[in-house]
Amino acid sequence: MSDGGVLLGLPGLGRPGPAAPLRLAIALGDGAGTRTVALHVAGAGLACCSVELVAAALRRPEARAAGVLEAATDDPAVDVLVVSGTCTDVLAPALRALHASLPAGTPVLSFGACASSGGPYWDSYSVTKGVDQVVPVDVYVPGCPPRPEALVDGLRRLPGIAR
Amino acid sequence: MSPVVDAVQAALGDAVLAVVPGFGPVTVDVDPASWAAAVAAAAGAGATYADYLTAYDELELGFALVLHVTTPDASDHVLLRTRVPRDRPQVESVVGIHRGLAWHERATHEMFGIGFVGNDDLSPLRTQPSLGAHPLRKDFVLAARVARPWPGEKDPAGDNGRARRRVLPPGVPEGWGDQA
Amino acid sequence: MTEPAVPARSRGVISLVEENCTVCMLCARECPDWCIHIEGHTETLPADEEHRRPRTENVLDRFAIDFSLCLYCGICIEVCPFDALHWSPEHEYAGATLAELTHERDRLAGWEATAPTTAQRDA
Repeated sequence: MSDGGVLLGLPGLGRPGPAAPLRLAIALGDGAGTRTVALHVAGAGLACCSVELVAAALRRPEARAAGVLEAATDDPAVDVLVVSGTCTDVLAPALRALHASLPAGTPVLSFGACASSGGPYWDSYSVTKGVDQVVPVDVYVPGCPPRPEALVDGLRRLPGIAR
Repeated sequence: MSPVVDAVQAALGDAVLAVVPGFGPVTVDVDPASWAAAVAAAAGAGATYADYLTAYDELELGFALVLHVTTPDASDHVLLRTRVPRDRPQVESVVGIHRGLAWHERATHEMFGIGFVGNDDLSPLRTQPSLGAHPLRKDFVLAARVARPWPGEKDPAGDNGRARRRVLPPGVPEGWGDQA
Repeated sequence: MTEPAVPARSRGVISLVEENCTVCMLCARECPDWCIHIEGHTETLPADEEHRRPRTENVLDRFAIDFSLCLYCGICIEVCPFDALHWSPEHEYAGATLAELTHERDRLAGWEATAPTTAQRDA
């Protein structure tokens, strides 16, 4: 099972702009070798999975109270774009534009079944069968919706995040 | 009964085809030519909050158009319903009575092809204009289900040398696409 | 900082008990996402002391579940008449490619060790 968890920091919610990042700190390693990596997660919240992404990010207020994390800054740097939820064909150009607005090479994590492959709506007349049709995806997290443990597992597999 | 239902009946008279009780609101079936009048009568009796407008496909009977209106304090509500023929599916738009139904009419037109005379923007909301069909009609087939091989079609017993009748997955009608 | 325990009955991943599977294809047919891929063939077993006549048996060649499509409804598990599929609370199997999210029979069998027993589920 997992050897660490998602520790949390919250940036100012309600910031304007397409990519107001969540600051998620994930623990890598175990025991004495645990180290924390903080990621600025820009979320493209398209449907129900985005609620789960926020729920995963918000699940440990006690971590914040314990002062484990730095307070989130206004640092607009984005480490990863998490696409959560169903992407429709009408929305796909907006998703591509969002990705294009981020620094080149920003990794993309596809969160949930709909984002990965169209999921339960694979046969729909209006759903994009996986966001990898419009943006390059580095990690696919299965689930409907995925649990926070699955999100952390996916974040750990991002290129550049050594386990 | 409800004051809203009474008002609709008083205003429409014979154009009310039926009043159907149910688990939720009472459903008042009206003649399609009196659709706007029915909505206006309900609004005049206090049902000024339009909750949703939608439709469903009744095959050879046509399309049923349904509107849920309620009083703002939710003390009274009604489902107004009418049926438009399949070959001429159109009613008068009610955006003059409930501005908020503009997109409901737009979406209903997109999904069923029902015309709303007087609503000047019925352009597609959720689908690509190139779709060229109304997806919630019952004769709209999800082509992905025809094109994609169904894993449940396989049989470990194989063909046993005989020609087997192809088992179709749910949602795929017989012979659809065979003419290609 | 410890993780809260994931309930034993969580729908994390699906495990396969191969010896129970008779290749009846019910799960593949009932899956709403069409994400279960099964292939099999029949073999004829000759008559022997226990069986006076030759009989045919289904042999499983391929059993795969594509978790990139799976909506975790559990219909496959419920419909299996032979209890060959079980829920396991494992959640950590994200992949760098979509292909990694399709689990073949060996990987599905491997999840069985993490699936709770009936006693654990009912606890």
